[in-house]
Amino acid sequence: MTESKAWNPTINRNHLIRDAIGLGIYDCMKADPSIYLFGEGASMKMHFDCPAIEKEFPERIITLPISEDGNTDFAVGASLVGVKPVVDVITSDFLFRTMDGICNTAPKVNFVTETVEEERTMVIRSENITFGLTTGQRLESLFTHIPGLNVIYPSNPKDARGLMRTALRRPGITLFFEDRMIADSDTRPEDIEDPGKDIPFGEASLVHKGDRLTVVSYALTLRRTRKVIEADDALDRCELIDLRSLYPLDMDTIRKSVRKTGRLLIIEPDITHSGVGAEILAEIAESSDAKMSTNPSRVGAPMTMIPASQFLHKDLIPTEERIKREIQERLN
Amino acid sequence: MLTIRLVEDELQRLCLTGEASDLHFSKGQEAISVGVCSELRPTDYLVVHHRTISPAIARGLPMNSLMAEILGKATGINKGLAGEMHIRSPELRFMFAFQLVGTCASVAAGLAWAVRYYKKEDDIVAVFLGDAATSNAQFHEGMNLAAVRKVPLLVVVEDNHLAGNIRPEFYLPAPIEKRFESYGICATKADGNKVDGVMEAARTCIEEVREKGSPVALILDTTRLSWHKQGQRDIRSQAELDLLAERDPLLYEERRLGIDGAEKSKLTESIGKEVAEAVEYARASPIPKMPWMEA
Repeated sequence: MTESKAWNPTINRNHLIRDAIGLGIYDCMKADPSIYLFGEGASMKMHFDCPAIEKEFPERIITLPISEDGNTDFAVGASLVGVKPVVDVITSDFLFRTMDGICNTAPKVNFVTETVEEERTMVIRSENITFGLTTGQRLESLFTHIPGLNVIYPSNPKDARGLMRTALRRPGITLFFEDRMIADSDTRPEDIEDPGKDIPFGEASLVHKGDRLTVVSYALTLRRTRKVIEADDALDRCELIDLRSLYPLDMDTIRKSVRKTGRLLIIEPDITHSGVGAEILAEIAESSDAKMSTNPSRVGAPMTMIPASQFLHKDLIPTEERIKREIQERLN
Repeated sequence: MLTIRLVEDELQRLCLTGEASDLHFSKGQEAISVGVCSELRPTDYLVVHHRTISPAIARGLPMNSLMAEILGKATGINKGLAGEMHIRSPELRFMFAFQLVGTCASVAAGLAWAVRYYKKEDDIVAVFLGDAATSNAQFHEGMNLAAVRKVPLLVVVEDNHLAGNIRPEFYLPAPIEKRFESYGICATKADGNKVDGVMEAARTCIEEVREKGSPVALILDTTRLSWHKQGQRDIRSQAELDLLAERDPLLYEERRLGIDGAEKSKLTESIGKEVAEAVEYARASPIPKMPWMEA
């Protein structure tokens, strides 16, 4: 039995994606004086998370009280006269607090605004850390169900930076998620290096080419799946797709791959019930012209709340062992 | 004020024919919109709650496209997408209206922050909300934000002593001014049905907000002579409504300006013509098109 390691901020800094997000914001702030950062403890966070922003644009870091919903509405108010807010809601569980601001206020202003002039740009960011009852809930699929919201979830620093630049350079509201469970230790240098490109929304990334099984994933499970595939020659014929953009969703890339392989497995870091995988399977079932040799399926977290005990966290999100087993099953 | 009254009366008739849906009238509260808006600069900003028709007209939104918007037509100010509750006219700095009670408070706080610290202008933001809204979390978070961030916000409370059909005993444990006090926000109280008094109080408050750049509250005592909204019957007795009608702001103003019956008829006729034209304009306008509509 493999040892269970609690996520410990002293040991696992897991900061490479966070740093990249900060630099993506910084890249845009340099050219665009309308981008402002809002959030609880914003000035303290920037001190640690993005010293470049703290140094060059301290007046654009607006520390707000612990009033999540009010803070989002406040940012929407500022956006009405041209501010582009990046609202840091810190932990994704807190998004529940500000659902009204995110779902009722922000996109509805754009829905009406769009008919008269340009839509407002706004980013709402938060992180996922598997820790306990109200720390670690993954809400990305909820937001893919709300019209007017983009949902972005990168799996590596390079993508994080390129996607954040896009978020701040296009009209629209973006929920930008950061997976703090992705270890810095197995991030490859080529996934940190920033080529300076903006990565469009709705464009998945082909991470590993293959012709026998299409595997679709994002965030932590994408990283685990790639490790598993690359470590075993027997799994080399898997085609691995990193969604990175959950809404808009790149079904074209998935369909193209499934036409080639005839097999589809979705591996998600989140509860499978009504999740992102459910949407993909529904779209494949409705409109795939592929000849499937097995039933498409998904693997993810069970329908449970996150218990506090660290020893119970290991099997919540599909482990490398489980991922390997599930892939092998579908290959046979 | 007469314009607002006549427009709303006509809209009420249209609600009964089904051409308009559930609307929120400000009958009896017109002096608040007219009084406050007359003291705002054209470059000041407005953010309002869901009782939008009165402030929209007071602010000068064109009647034809306002009517078309409320009646759901493509020629509406917002192409029929916003309707009565989310009207937006950026040219007139009528920034947005919000249905959910309280949202306007925190949005207005953020807007006021941006006007002063991002745009660096001396325009102010006026937010209209009701006494019932002062129980909502967004009111509290908004006032806290406005006070701690020191923003040029005028909070206009249309205190009609009702939350829909619910009396203050269910939502107001202490006077409204105490709520503002707890955020360090000064509150002025005035009779919201005397338009000259509203103008005077608004003038003073607006000056203070503009000069000091911090929030000020104006609590205007008023009377809601209509139902909360068209679809929600009133629980008040006719006797109570008759008593409230004695404070009708239009009556007060007619007396104050010495407008006799004949002159009122003339005004009613000419404004009535405008309203009728607006309705015809809306009726003749096409319905909006969305890409997902059945052909």
